[in-house]
Amino acid sequence: MENQKFYYDNKIVKLFIKATIIWGITAVTVGLLIAFQLAYPAYNFGLEFTTFGRMRPLHTNAVIFAFVGNAIFAGVYYSMQKLLKARMFSDVLSKIHFWGWQLIILLAAITFTLGISTSKEYAELEWPIDILITIVWVVFGWNMIGTIVKRRVQHIYAAIWWYLASFLGVAILHVVNSFELPVSLFKSYSIYAGAQDAVVQWWYGHNAVAFFLTTPFLGLMYYYLPKAANRPIYSYKLSIIHFWSLIFLYMWAGPHHLLYQALPDWAQALGVTFSIMLIAPSWGGMINGLLTLRGAWDKVRDSAVLKFFVVAVTAYGMSTFEGPMMSLKNVNQITHFTDWTIAHVHIAGMGWNAGLIFGMLYWMIPRLYKTKLYSEKLANTHFWIATLAILVYAIPLYWAAVTQWLMWREYTPEGFLAYPNFLETLTHILPMYTVRIVGGTLFLIGFLIMMYNLYKTMKSGSVEDNEAAEAPAFVSEGPRNPLKETVHRWMERKIVKFSIWVFIALVIGGAVEIIPMIFIKSNVPTIAAVTPYTPLELEGRDIYVSEGCHTCHSQVVRPFRWETDRYGEYSKIGEFVYDHPYQWGSRRTGPDLARAGYVGGPMYKNAAWHYNHFMNPQKMNEQSIMPNYAWFAKKELNLNLVPKKIRAMQTLRVPYAEGFDEIAVDDLLKQAKGIVADLKSSNIEIEPTKQMVAMIAYLHKLGGDIAPSVVEVGESSTETIEDIKLLTGEEDLNAAREIFTQTCVVCHGADGKGIATFPDLTDDEWISGDSPLNVYQSISNGKITKGMVPYKDTYSEKQIIQLTSYILLKLNSDEDSK
Amino acid sequence: MEEKTHNKADQTNLLDDEKLMDHDYDGIQELDNPPPRWIMAIFYITIAFAIIYAAHYFWLGVGENQDAQYARKSLNHDAKYKMANQSTEDLVLLTDAGDLEEGKVIFSEMNCFACHGMSGEGNAIGPNLTDNSWISGCDFQSVFNIVKNGNPTKGMTAFKGQISDTKIQKVSSYVLSLVGTNPANAKDPQGVNCE
Repeated sequence: MENQKFYYDNKIVKLFIKATIIWGITAVTVGLLIAFQLAYPAYNFGLEFTTFGRMRPLHTNAVIFAFVGNAIFAGVYYSMQKLLKARMFSDVLSKIHFWGWQLIILLAAITFTLGISTSKEYAELEWPIDILITIVWVVFGWNMIGTIVKRRVQHIYAAIWWYLASFLGVAILHVVNSFELPVSLFKSYSIYAGAQDAVVQWWYGHNAVAFFLTTPFLGLMYYYLPKAANRPIYSYKLSIIHFWSLIFLYMWAGPHHLLYQALPDWAQALGVTFSIMLIAPSWGGMINGLLTLRGAWDKVRDSAVLKFFVVAVTAYGMSTFEGPMMSLKNVNQITHFTDWTIAHVHIAGMGWNAGLIFGMLYWMIPRLYKTKLYSEKLANTHFWIATLAILVYAIPLYWAAVTQWLMWREYTPEGFLAYPNFLETLTHILPMYTVRIVGGTLFLIGFLIMMYNLYKTMKSGSVEDNEAAEAPAFVSEGPRNPLKETVHRWMERKIVKFSIWVFIALVIGGAVEIIPMIFIKSNVPTIAAVTPYTPLELEGRDIYVSEGCHTCHSQVVRPFRWETDRYGEYSKIGEFVYDHPYQWGSRRTGPDLARAGYVGGPMYKNAAWHYNHFMNPQKMNEQSIMPNYAWFAKKELNLNLVPKKIRAMQTLRVPYAEGFDEIAVDDLLKQAKGIVADLKSSNIEIEPTKQMVAMIAYLHKLGGDIAPSVVEVGESSTETIEDIKLLTGEEDLNAAREIFTQTCVVCHGADGKGIATFPDLTDDEWISGDSPLNVYQSISNGKITKGMVPYKDTYSEKQIIQLTSYILLKLNSDEDSK
Repeated sequence: MEEKTHNKADQTNLLDDEKLMDHDYDGIQELDNPPPRWIMAIFYITIAFAIIYAAHYFWLGVGENQDAQYARKSLNHDAKYKMANQSTEDLVLLTDAGDLEEGKVIFSEMNCFACHGMSGEGNAIGPNLTDNSWISGCDFQSVFNIVKNGNPTKGMTAFKGQISDTKIQKVSSYVLSLVGTNPANAKDPQGVNCE
C-alpha cells in the first residue's frame, strides 16, 4: 500500500498550550483572591467589581473553560492528529475555534466583573455569549468529526470515543440549559422556573463535571498515559464497558445536587441510585490507567510526568468514590451547603484535571519543540509542591465542613439551637480558611515553577508548525465478518453509527428527568398563596441574580428540624414557580434567605437593618465576612426595562394581569415610596429609584407567601375561618369595649380616631379591608410591619369577634363617625 | 532520550499473563485482559443496590418520603425535649424567690440588659421595665407573649426559638417584679399606665 504524505498542524497545539498556561495562572490567582476574601473581607476592596459574588463565577469559569478547556483542546488537537494519522480537517476552523474560545473567555472576564450574570452555576454567561459558545463548539465538533472522516486508520481508538462523547455531551447540555428569554443585550430570564430550572441546571452542572472535566480527560489519559509509560493499555474490554456505562449513567445523576430540597422524591431517588451505579464505571477508568502502569512502576519514581499521572488517576478514583457517597441522602446532609463540596471539587480539579494537564504538558512540550525538558528536577519539585498543596487545601475544608455541620445541628439540653446565630458557626471555621490560603498559594507557586520550566524548554527548541508525516491511505475493510470482528470492533470504524449510539446513550437520562418535571403538573404542586414578584421585587431579584448572592446564600430550607428551627418552615416546590432562574444556591457561607421575608420568622430583618447591613455589614456584625454593597444606595434602577421584563415574564406564563406592563413602573414607584417612608422613620434618606430599595423589597418578599406552621401558645384556632357574624348583644360589645380600652387605645385612641400615624378606625378608609373578616384577620394576625400586633395568641377567637363587632358597629357606625 | 515515533511496546517487555491484541494506534497497543472480576462485582452490587433502593421507597412503599420523615423526626424532637405545646393556664406569674433569681440570670444571659438596661431602667432602644407603663399590655400573659413572640419591626427579639416557655415564664415574672424599683437613669414611661 502506498504511503500518503501529510503534515501535522503543530501550530494550533502550540497556541492552545500557551493559552492553557496563561489562563491557568489567571484562574488560580483569582481562586487565591476569593480564598483571601473568605478569610478577610477587606480583600473585596470595597469595589463592586471585585466582590466575592462576582469573582467566584470568574474563578470557576476560568478554571473550567479557560484553563481546563484550552488544555483539552491542546491535548485533543495533538493526539487526534496522531491517532487518526491526519491533519486537522480545516486550518480555518482550527483558527476560529482557538480565537473564538479566547474571545469567549475575555468576554466572560469582562461581563462577570461588570456584574452581568445569569447565576446558573458554570453557565453564568449571558445569552449573546451563550450563542457564541454554541457556534465555537460546533466549529470544534465539525473540525473533529471532519478529521475522523478523513482519517488514515481503520478504527478509532478509545481516546477518540471519549472526545466524541465529550463533544456531543457538552453540546446537548449547553443548548438545553441555556434556553433563556432575552430582555436586553445583557439580561435574560431562564425559560425554566424553580424546581424545573434546578433540575435542568444540575443535570447540566453535574454533567459539565462529566463531559468537560471527566470524559475529555479519560480520553487524554488513554493517549498520554500509555505513551509516557510506554506500556499497552491494560484491558480493551474494560475500555468498552466503562465507556458505555459511564456516558449512559452520568446523565442521570444530576438530582444528587438537590437532595432534601424542593424536588419530587422520585427525582431525588434517581440522583441517588445512578450516582451509586457510577462507582464501577468511573473506577474502570482509574484501574485501566493504573494497571497500564504494571511493569512500569520503576519509571514512576524518576518521571515527574508519570508521577503527575498517578496522582491524577488516584485523585480521580478518590473523587469518584467520594461523589457517590456524597449522593447518599444521609451523607449529603453533611456535605451539601458546607465546605465538603468545595474540598471535593478541589481534589478533583487540582488532582485529576490539573495533575493530568501538568503531566501532559511536561510530556508534550519537549516532543513538540523537539528538545529536552529544561529541568526534570524542577518538574519534580513542582510535583511535590502541587501534591502538598492539594492536601493543605482540602484537609482544612473537610474539617471545617464537619465542624460547621455539627454546630448547625447542635441543640442545647432544653431543645434549642446551641448556635442560633449563624455567624458563630462561620467565625469558628475561619482559621481553616486561612490554612486553605496556604494551600492555594503553594499550588500557584508550583504553577509558576512549571511556567518557568516550560518557558525555558520552549526557548531551547523550536516547533515545526507543519510537521511532515506519512501513512497508508484509508481503505475500508468493507462489511463486517462476524467470525473475525465483534460488533463493537466493527462500530469503531463506523463513525456515524458510533456517534448515534453515543447520542442515544446521552439523551435518555436527561429526557427521563426533565420532561416529566416540565409537562406533568403533579410534580410541581402549586400553592395558591404564592404570588408573582411585584415589579420592584423583580428588579431586586435581578440584582440579587447578577451580583451572585447565591454564591454564599442559599434559598431553600431542607426538611430538618435544625434547619426549620433556624430558618423557618422548609421549602415547598410550589413556592418557586415564578423563579426564573431558581436561586437555591449550593453553599451556605452566609445564612439561608428562603424565609428572609417572613415577618415574625427567625430570619426577618426590617428595612433599616437591611439598609445598614448593605452599607456596612461589619457595623451590624463585627465578624461578618460579607462584602459591603454601599453602591446599592447610589446606583439607579433601569426603569425603562421594567415593562419589557413584565412582558417577558408574561411570555413565561407568570400570571400578571393583561396590560400590567403599562402600569408596572407606577406600581414599582408606589411600593418603593412605601419602603422609602419606612426607612425615613429610622432617619434614613434614600430616593425610591435606587437599587437598595429594590433589594429590600425583594428580601422582604422571600418566603413570606406561605405561613410557616409555627406552634403557638394560646388558644389560637388552626382552622381557617370562612366568614364571621358580627355580634350585636350588649354583653359582647361591653366586653369588647373593655378589651379595647385596655389594649387598643394605645395606638388607636379611646375614641378609635388613631394616635399619631396609627389609623383612624372611625372613617371609611381601611388599610386591610372593611369586611368583618378583614377586620377580624387584621386583629388576629396583625400587620407587624406597620406596628399592628397579632392578637390571636392574646385573645380568644370569640374575644376577637367581639372586638371586630365593637369596631365596626360602634366606632365605625355612621352616626358616630361623621 | 528521543524515542521512535512509533514507540511500540517491546513484545519481550510483556508480563507473563499478558496477551497483546492486534491494535495499534500511534504506537499504543491494547491487551486482551478481561476487566478485573472485583470491578464487575462492584458494578453488579451497585445495580442491585439501586433496584432495592427504588423498591424500598417506591414499589414496596416501605421507605418514608421526606415530608413524612420530617414530621416523624420533628415529633421525636418535641418529645425528647418536652417541647409540646404547654397550655396557657400553667404559665402564671411566679413569685417564688428562687424562680425570680433564675429569671434574673436569664435576663442577663439573654442580653435583655442591652436594650432594657442593667436594672430594667430602659435605654435609647428599649422601654423602661420598672415603671408600670406598658406598651404591649401589663398583665403576666402580655409580658410573656411579647418576650416569646417579640415585635420584630420594633426591635424586640422573639425568644421562642432560643429559650423554653418555662424560662420565658421565669424571666417575665422577674421583669414584672422590677415594677416600682425606681432605678437611676430611668427612661420616661411609654405605653399605658396600668395603675
